[in-house]
Amino acid sequence: MLSHSALAPVHLGLHRLHKRVLMAVGILGDWATFIGAVLILGLGTSWYMIDVGTRLTTEKHGPWVGWTSAGRADADPYTRAHFARLGTLQLTTEIALTFVALTDSDGNRLHSSCDYAVEGREPGNHWWSLTVFNDRGDLIANAAQRYTYTSESIALRPDGTFAVTLAREASPGNWLPTGGAGRLALMFTTFDAATTMLGKSADETKQLPVIRRVQCR
Amino acid sequence: MKVANLLKNANWQLILAAPVAAGILHICATLAAPYLTAASAYSRLAPGLTVNNMQLLSAAAPAAEPLPFMSPDARYAMCRFDTSGGPVTVSATLPPDLGWTLTVVTPQGDNIYATASVPARPTPVSLVLVPSEEAFLGVTPEARGIARDIQPPTPVSATRGIVVVRGPDKGYSYQRHVEAVLKEARCTARSF
Repeated sequence: MLSHSALAPVHLGLHRLHKRVLMAVGILGDWATFIGAVLILGLGTSWYMIDVGTRLTTEKHGPWVGWTSAGRADADPYTRAHFARLGTLQLTTEIALTFVALTDSDGNRLHSSCDYAVEGREPGNHWWSLTVFNDRGDLIANAAQRYTYTSESIALRPDGTFAVTLAREASPGNWLPTGGAGRLALMFTTFDAATTMLGKSADETKQLPVIRRVQCR
Repeated sequence: MKVANLLKNANWQLILAAPVAAGILHICATLAAPYLTAASAYSRLAPGLTVNNMQLLSAAAPAAEPLPFMSPDARYAMCRFDTSGGPVTVSATLPPDLGWTLTVVTPQGDNIYATASVPARPTPVSLVLVPSEEAFLGVTPEARGIARDIQPPTPVSATRGIVVVRGPDKGYSYQRHVEAVLKEARCTARSF
């Protein structure tokens, strides 16, 4: 058997090793926290700015979101990245404004299990269109082959307003079938050139349609 | 007491460095994002378009849309251009109607040239796409003492990209007319 004095150097060595391991764990923990925080902050904020956007890059009018410098040669990096990821070909906002709505005017996600009424007023003497897609940007197949209404194909009310019904089942008037697409996306495009040239109030073109949920199944 | 200990033992160098490093990562990720995507509009469209030739695309339909969120509210003629072998001339006449456009789009999605129709009169568009603004395009008629009888084409500096002529869909009755106007658009390569 070893005496107490003979074991002392072993205990001392183990104690030192224990301290060093604790120190290494502490340093590794600090670095792991640092790297985690950098990744979450750096990539998270970048993803948010590119995918969702903020007031710096987007205009929000009720449920409608439009990227203010889409397609422009002087577009900010977030707008460029947004449309590059989306894979769309954008017209410059100097000619046309495009707004996308993923929710109704009450903030509920648009879904094909519900019927909606999209109501608005003709935005001046501009060409415009309203198209329904699924949330991946695909057209929704339907027997009527109806996917969009434009300022030239829509039936207006006598007072210049319009209403479009989004529903699975056929509906009288302007009807856009939603089939069983699941989550929906509505796109509203308006040509704004005349307003820009005549220097009219910018608010005139921002009277975007209201999306009202009628019923859900 | 615990909080005081935590603050005392915290690695302040790392805590202060974290926002700076996150900011650098944010900038790098944002700037790199357009180049990291494999599904940009240009990369989706380019394989189906012959170089320096205007093509009329078929109307967008379910399962046959060339791009996501491409509305069938318009018909398109497109020309994938490449000016590395020489300038490319583009010409089209936009009818006196609302909703017609001609744009020159870079692979990154920037509209480096865009024009829209006006209701009062037709809008003739004549462009010459050149690889750089310094490119020599030949001696102009004026330099040779000859008066021009036509509007000189507008030079646009671009190496690669897509010319997009967009005609608004006005329903079945106008389909032939819209297609005829789009087919009239030209995109032709010429030598230096």
